[in-house]
Amino acid sequence: MKRVLSLFFIAALGVLLLYVVASMPPMGDPQTPTATHVIPRYLERAEEETHTENVITGVILNYRGYDTMGEVTVIFCALAAVLAVLGRERRGRIRGFVDRSPVPSSTIVRTMVRFMVPFIILFSVYTILHGEISPGGGFQGGAIIGGSMIIFTTVFGLYESSRRIPQKVRAPLEGSAVIVFFLVGALGLVGGGNFLTYAWPHAARGLQPALVTWLTVLVEVGIGLGGAMVLISILFAMIREEEEIALTA
Amino acid sequence: MGAWRHFPIFMITLPLLGAVLMPFLGYLRERWVPYAALLPLAASTLLGFLLVGRIPAGDHLSYHLGGWEPPFGIEIRVDHVGLFLMLVVCAITLLALVYSRRYIEKEVSPGRRTAYYVLYLLMSGAMLGFTATGDIFNLFVFMEILALSSYALVAITGNRNAVRAAFKYVLMGAPSSIMVLLAVGFLYSVTGTLNMADLASRIAESGYTEVLVVSYILFVIGFGVKAALFPLHMWLPDAHSIAPSPISALLSGLLVEVCAFALVRITFSVFTRSATDLVGGTADAVGVAAAAAVLYGGIMAITQKDLKVMIAYSTVSHIGYIFLGITAFTAEGLTGAMYHMLDHGLAKACLFLCAGNFIYLKGYRRIEELRGAWRQMPWTCFAFALASISVIGIPPTAGFISKWYLILGNIRAGKWLYTIVLLSGSILAAVYCLRIIYYMFFQAGKEEAWEDASRDVPPGMLVPVWALSLGTLFFGVFSYLLIPSLLKASAYLL
Repeated sequence: MKRVLSLFFIAALGVLLLYVVASMPPMGDPQTPTATHVIPRYLERAEEETHTENVITGVILNYRGYDTMGEVTVIFCALAAVLAVLGRERRGRIRGFVDRSPVPSSTIVRTMVRFMVPFIILFSVYTILHGEISPGGGFQGGAIIGGSMIIFTTVFGLYESSRRIPQKVRAPLEGSAVIVFFLVGALGLVGGGNFLTYAWPHAARGLQPALVTWLTVLVEVGIGLGGAMVLISILFAMIREEEEIALTA
Repeated sequence: MGAWRHFPIFMITLPLLGAVLMPFLGYLRERWVPYAALLPLAASTLLGFLLVGRIPAGDHLSYHLGGWEPPFGIEIRVDHVGLFLMLVVCAITLLALVYSRRYIEKEVSPGRRTAYYVLYLLMSGAMLGFTATGDIFNLFVFMEILALSSYALVAITGNRNAVRAAFKYVLMGAPSSIMVLLAVGFLYSVTGTLNMADLASRIAESGYTEVLVVSYILFVIGFGVKAALFPLHMWLPDAHSIAPSPISALLSGLLVEVCAFALVRITFSVFTRSATDLVGGTADAVGVAAAAAVLYGGIMAITQKDLKVMIAYSTVSHIGYIFLGITAFTAEGLTGAMYHMLDHGLAKACLFLCAGNFIYLKGYRRIEELRGAWRQMPWTCFAFALASISVIGIPPTAGFISKWYLILGNIRAGKWLYTIVLLSGSILAAVYCLRIIYYMFFQAGKEEAWEDASRDVPPGMLVPVWALSLGTLFFGVFSYLLIPSLLKASAYLL
């Protein structure tokens, strides 16, 4: 009975949504409300107004930077939620039970990973710094760093990787995205604007555009570092949990 | 325009900043975290009180983030109603945080305490941002922070029941978030804007009626789940009763109210009066659900054996009150709803913290175990009694004032049936509250149940409880401080 009822509700919702999608303005039509109201200004004036060549970056970090500040807080919140449920790995406790890799690996794999990880991290640095000009940015770069550490940890084990990025490094950097956003935001106030006005107080007029670009890059770096640390901390917390279950079983 | 224009953004961002700094402090000195967490919330509260009286009557403060004018950038929009709710949020979060230190030491294991304070600050900041925003996508972003942190806080003790309750909450909460996101997407696709004020003007001339109606329905379901509107309340009794008591206080006293307020904003600031006939049918359905909630929550509360579950069902009932005030579509009704958010927040937070006191000192959760509690814990019991009186709605407490306006609003709207429902809800509340008071004060418990431990709980836990219960009394006696401006602000919203 319950199953039939829930299937009925899901089907009803599905029909409703399909009906709405059918009556929405057609995709790609240049006359739709979306294409005529806010977007033209972004496309035409983003570069001169936000001093970023990539319009997407201009929108998410500048025009709607406050939303992005919220989003990086969501990412940080995900970490806090994981730590609340699983608990953080305790200082100095790791060596006891997790210094081997969970996956048996050959010398070839170890050598390749050791060789590749620096290049992956170099690529992520490029992605972060270039986010202002080309596709990419802090979120993507941070995910790449996190990915590289996932590979490294899979092959060498938690002990090796947590020795390289210990908790004392991660703890202050996990929130770097929010911190950088807050600082840049407050800087806008010093310059006489509103919160999150990208501006450098008392800069000569000609220097201002370059400094705004640099502030944008600074925010990207904060997002990248913070995102990477959040991913790594979540990974460590989950591995520790696995190990504890394995030990108690 | 002075520096006060910048206050709301700092009220929102300071708790968030505090939250991200906590892990490092927790790494260095975990003992300091409970004290350090007070700073950003105290700062927010101070800024909020400094803002009182700055916003001209019948007007709002509009703050353009990054200096971009509204449809292009994000706007923070604080009117009197919003500021009122922000102050309620600040005050209650601050008091429950003071309460938290001792309680959390006992309930939460050391490795997770820092995470508790981090999530607590995130939740407080998100509630403030959620209330203040003037942009529907930004509303969604803050709702996500709010939802994520509340899921985790329910599960934080880590025992099996807590994780199960939190999982149930996630199962209901995650789809509701998606519905809100879909609704935002639909609205954007037919108007091309995300700003609430801009939406209000563009909705009126938009031709896509079907899309608008469905988007409103999705908003109602999405926020309805988060606000635990009957019949979408199933997660609430478990989550609110199993969470640590300060978190129960926050979830019951603030989170559901804030989500109901989001629906107020969507209804009155986005779809507005002109579109009321567009969404009128849905609003009527909400009214029916709310009336059912009042009765169902009340009856279920009477049948409970566990104190915290009983209080949680009482919340289901009172959410119905708030929604009945909103769907009356009169200034009195909306004023009653807003005032009910205040007094229900204070009273419910107080009740949950009192229940926490019993758990902290004696480990008692069941109602029968409270027989004769008065002898050992007189302070807690008196605070509980005062808050219960406000929940029932007996003068001179604030509960009476809000129910008065709720009933007045429904009479003005000609909704006699709902008026009767509201009155019978109060009778139900009297039954479940007076039963507890009877057990506490007029029944002799077993001697050994109350003789061993020390007297009442430490002052750090009593002061917040008393501040909350005296708050219900204060806002009952001095309601004239707030009611006129709320009436004016409600008329402005309508």
